[in-house]
Amino acid sequence: MSTVQQETFDIIAKQAKIELDTIKPESTLKDLGIASLDAIEVIFDIEEHFNINLPNEDTDLENGTVGQLVAAIERQLAQKTAE
Amino acid sequence: MRRLVITGMGAICALGHDAPSVWKAMTEGRSGIGPIHHIQPGQLRNGGIAAEVSDYDPAHFFDEARRALLDPFSEYALIAANEAIRQSGIRFDGEAGARTAVVIGTGAGGETTRDDLYERLYGEHQGRFHPLGIVRMMTNAPASQVSMVHGITGPSFVVASACASSNHAFAQAAMMIRSGLVDAAVVGGTEACITLGTLRAWEAMRVLAPDTCRPFSQGRRGLVLGEGAGMYVLETLESAQKRGAEILCELVGTGMSSDAGDIAAPSDIGAAAAMNAALRDGGMSPDEVDYVNAHGTGTVANDSTETRAIHRVFGAHARELAVTSTKPMHGHALGAGGALELVAAIGAIHDGIVPPTLNYLGPDPACDLDYVPNVAREMTVHAAISNSFAFGGLNAVVAIRRAP
Repeated sequence: MSTVQQETFDIIAKQAKIELDTIKPESTLKDLGIASLDAIEVIFDIEEHFNINLPNEDTDLENGTVGQLVAAIERQLAQKTAE
Repeated sequence: MRRLVITGMGAICALGHDAPSVWKAMTEGRSGIGPIHHIQPGQLRNGGIAAEVSDYDPAHFFDEARRALLDPFSEYALIAANEAIRQSGIRFDGEAGARTAVVIGTGAGGETTRDDLYERLYGEHQGRFHPLGIVRMMTNAPASQVSMVHGITGPSFVVASACASSNHAFAQAAMMIRSGLVDAAVVGGTEACITLGTLRAWEAMRVLAPDTCRPFSQGRRGLVLGEGAGMYVLETLESAQKRGAEILCELVGTGMSSDAGDIAAPSDIGAAAAMNAALRDGGMSPDEVDYVNAHGTGTVANDSTETRAIHRVFGAHARELAVTSTKPMHGHALGAGGALELVAAIGAIHDGIVPPTLNYLGPDPACDLDYVPNVAREMTVHAAISNSFAFGGLNAVVAIRRAP
């Protein structure tokens, strides 16, 4: 598991108050019981942690999976390093 | 019970500076959404669009002494109230002033003033504030200004329920007149929320559309903020007839409810309860309604939830309704929303034209009503309801019908 994925899972587990091992790359935030404003708070915590901005199109809170979220974070981090 | 009628209407928003211009733009399906003028591009993350009042110079409306006291949200309220009072021909001299109320809905308050002061404090580290900061930004300022300018000495106050503020204001005014506490009210809503601070807070909630506002449509991506005011003169049928005033419509009923659920996610049960309450209050059967001016924000959640709520209330008759959202034209004006949208509902009844739902790309299976996509429709409207549902789960609906 990449460090980014590990850190993201930690943030999700903490915000949603769920066990770390219930989070799988293919789970959606909805599957994990994180909806509405809670999901938006998770995204905010991730942005603060990595100091990145996640555009709305990368954060499909309805159907997006945690794996896709990690990929989006890695994209933003790569872009930041390139700058 | 005293019957209530509207005899004056005033409006200012991205579509124009008076009610006839706003209504004309609605029938033509014009949109006031565009790039935000007074915020530097690059300061916003997401699109940077809104429906701003444009080509606007407060000096055209107010002298210097008055202007010094006014945040834009009070300017807009005064401009719209002045227009409504002028059209109505109502006078407030003698006892009449004490028998009139001012009730204004607003969600945010004097945001421009607040942003400017805090920029000075936290950004520029300037210790000296303008002494009129408080009287400009206090949330009750628009009600105070309307009462002062027009010599209205009855009860005056502001109602705050976010996006439902205007409709809650209509409900308060209607109850006060029906109870006999007053005989007339200057009532509506105002908002001037397009500031950097407010927009950044909305962006963070991830409900702003990056492209445009397309209610009930497939591919909708959120709401677009707007600003402005709608103000009305509400009085008894008896007093309007005695004065020989032109009656724009009858205000038949108002309904209010609270979801008591999620702070942000809407509820079809709560929304339906407010619609039912408005119909019940007016002794109206659902089948009488021809037109629903929807809350229709353009968020995925609102539009499907509101559609379910309309099905709940109207049953088979839901299929007969024209349901439109005018927010793609004037934006989501929060506390002014219901008041601006009443221009559309009154216009539909008065002129037999239902304004369209703009930017409609095609049906979403979760939104299966007749939304009058993209082009206005000529149709007879005897009665209409106007929906407003706020964050925080506060709902308010106004029911109107053709002048008696």
